[in-house]
Amino acid sequence: MIRLDAVGKTFRGRDGVPVEALRDVSLDVAAGEFVAIVGASGCGKSTLLRMVAGLVAASTGTVALDGEAVAGPRAETAMVFQAPTLLPWADVLRNVTFPLRLMRRAGAGTEEKARALLDVAGLAGFESKLPRELSGGMQQRVAICRALVQEPRVLLADEPFGALDALTREEMSLELLRLWAARRMAVLFVTHSIPEAVLLADRVVVMSPRPGRVADVVEVGLPRPRSFDQEASDEFHRCARRIRDRIFGERAARAA
Amino acid sequence: MVALFAVWEGAVRFFGIREFLLPAPSAIWAATASVWPTVLQHTLATLGTVLGGFAASVLVSLPLAMLIASSPAVSAALYPLLVVTQSIPKVALAPILIIALGANEAPRIIVTFLVAFFPLVVGTVAGLLATPPELIELGRACRAGRVQELLRIRLPFAVPFVFSGLKVAAALSVVGAVVAEFVGADAGLGYLIQTSMAFFRTPLAYGAVVILALLGILLFQAVALAERVFFPWSSGAAQAPPAA
Ligand SMILES: Nc1ncnc2c1ncn2[C@@H]1O[C@H](COP(=O)(O)OP(=O)(O)O)[C@@H](O)[C@H]1O
Ligand SMILES: [Mg+2]
Repeated sequence: MIRLDAVGKTFRGRDGVPVEALRDVSLDVAAGEFVAIVGASGCGKSTLLRMVAGLVAASTGTVALDGEAVAGPRAETAMVFQAPTLLPWADVLRNVTFPLRLMRRAGAGTEEKARALLDVAGLAGFESKLPRELSGGMQQRVAICRALVQEPRVLLADEPFGALDALTREEMSLELLRLWAARRMAVLFVTHSIPEAVLLADRVVVMSPRPGRVADVVEVGLPRPRSFDQEASDEFHRCARRIRDRIFGERAARAA
Repeated sequence: MVALFAVWEGAVRFFGIREFLLPAPSAIWAATASVWPTVLQHTLATLGTVLGGFAASVLVSLPLAMLIASSPAVSAALYPLLVVTQSIPKVALAPILIIALGANEAPRIIVTFLVAFFPLVVGTVAGLLATPPELIELGRACRAGRVQELLRIRLPFAVPFVFSGLKVAAALSVVGAVVAEFVGADAGLGYLIQTSMAFFRTPLAYGAVVILALLGILLFQAVALAERVFFPWSSGAAQAPPAA
C-alpha cells in the first residue's frame, strides 16, 4: 500500500550548500505490514517518514499511497514523534482527540474511543491530567493513543521509544504490538535498537549513511505473537547479527 | 513594610523634618483621610483611565502580535514603527494629543495605551514564535491551515507569554495614566499630586502616590488571578517552558 520508487531528497542547507539526505530509496510496504527502519543518525530515516506523511516533498522519485502520489498530509496516516509533543494546555483526553477535532472528524463516538484506547494503554484515570503531570513514558503512551484514535491505515513512528528507559521501552513495544495486532495497519517504525526492530517487525530495512540508501532488507521469520522469550531463538540472533554486520560492517570499511 | 513605615515615622519625628519636605506616614494618613471623598473621586477617575488604557492595549496588542508573527515581512515593516512609538517621550506627546483631540478622556487613554502596550506585543510575538517546531509539525500532519495553526496551536502556546506581557502592561498602565493626568486633566491622582504640591500640601501628594502604588499592585494581582483561574496550566510556564 505504501510504495517508494527511487526516492531521493536533497535539502538546501542554510548556507546554500545542498545536503543529499536520501538517494534512490525504493520500498514497498503491504497493508498491515510492520516494517522497522534502522540506521545511523542522520541517514535520513526521519526524512523518509516525513515524506510518507506528506510533510516534505521528494526531490526525485515518487511516494505513493494506494497508488496515489502523496502530495500532502493525508487523513489515513498518523505519526508518532520521538518526543511526545503533547499540547501543554490540554488534558490527556483532549490531547488524544486533538487531531480529530482539528480535522473536524470528531464525532459522537470519538471521546468513547479515546477513553477505550487510554484504558488499553494503562492510562485509565489520567484522562483529565495535564501532560506535565505524567512521566515521560506515560506521555509517549498518550502520543501513541493520539495516533491510533485516528484509526490510521498507515502508522509512522519516528523513534517513539527513543527517550524512554529500557524497562518502559520493552513494556511499551509489546503494548504497541498488541494494539497493532488488533488493528492491523501498516507500520513504518524507526528505531535505534536492533533487538527492538527484530522483535517488532516483519521486515527490517537497514539504511546506509549519507546519502541514505537501503543497504539491506531483513525478513524476520519469528512467529507471532512475539515475546521477549524469542530473543533467545536462533532466528532472532541470525537477524540481529545480519543487521549489525550491515551497519557496523560499513562503518568498519569506512574507517579502514 | 510595617518596619519601613515605623522607621520612616520615627526618623521624621526624631530629626524634626518639616512636613512639606517629607511628611510622616501618620501625617499622610491624616491628610488623605480628612478629604477622602475627593480622594476617592480622583482615584476612580484614574482607575477609569488605567482600565481604558489597559483594555486598549489588550485589544490592539493581541491582533497586532498575531500579524507580526504571521510573516517576517510584516514584522520587518511594523516593528520599526512600534519602536518609534516607544522612543517618543509620552510626556511630550500628551499635550499634542490634547490639542488635537480636546481635553477629554480620549488623549489620556491613548497616552496610557502608548505607555503600556509595547511589552504586551513583544511578549505575545515571542510566545507565538516560541511554539516548538514539533507542535507545528503535528498541526501540519493534521492538515491544519495557517489560521488553524495560529488559533489552535500558536496562540494557546503563547498564553503564558501573553500573561507575562499583561502583568507588565498592568503596571505600566498606572504609570501612563499619571503621565497623562500630569499634562492635561482636571481630575485623577496625577492631577491631585500636582495641585497638592503647588499648594505645599505634601502629605496629600504622598497619599496619592501610595494609592497609585496600591492600584498598580491590585491590577497586577488581578491579572495573576485571572491567569490562575482561567489558565491553570499556564502559571509559571513562561519561565520554564515544558520540555518539547
Ligand atoms: N529541513 C532540513 N533542512 C536541511 N537539512 C535537513 C533537513 N532535515 C534533515 N536534514 C538533513 O538531512 C539528513 C538526514 O536527516 P534525518 O532524516 O533527520 O536523519 P535521521 O532521522 O536518520 O537521523 C541530515 O544530514 C540532516 O541534517
Ligand atoms: Mg531522526
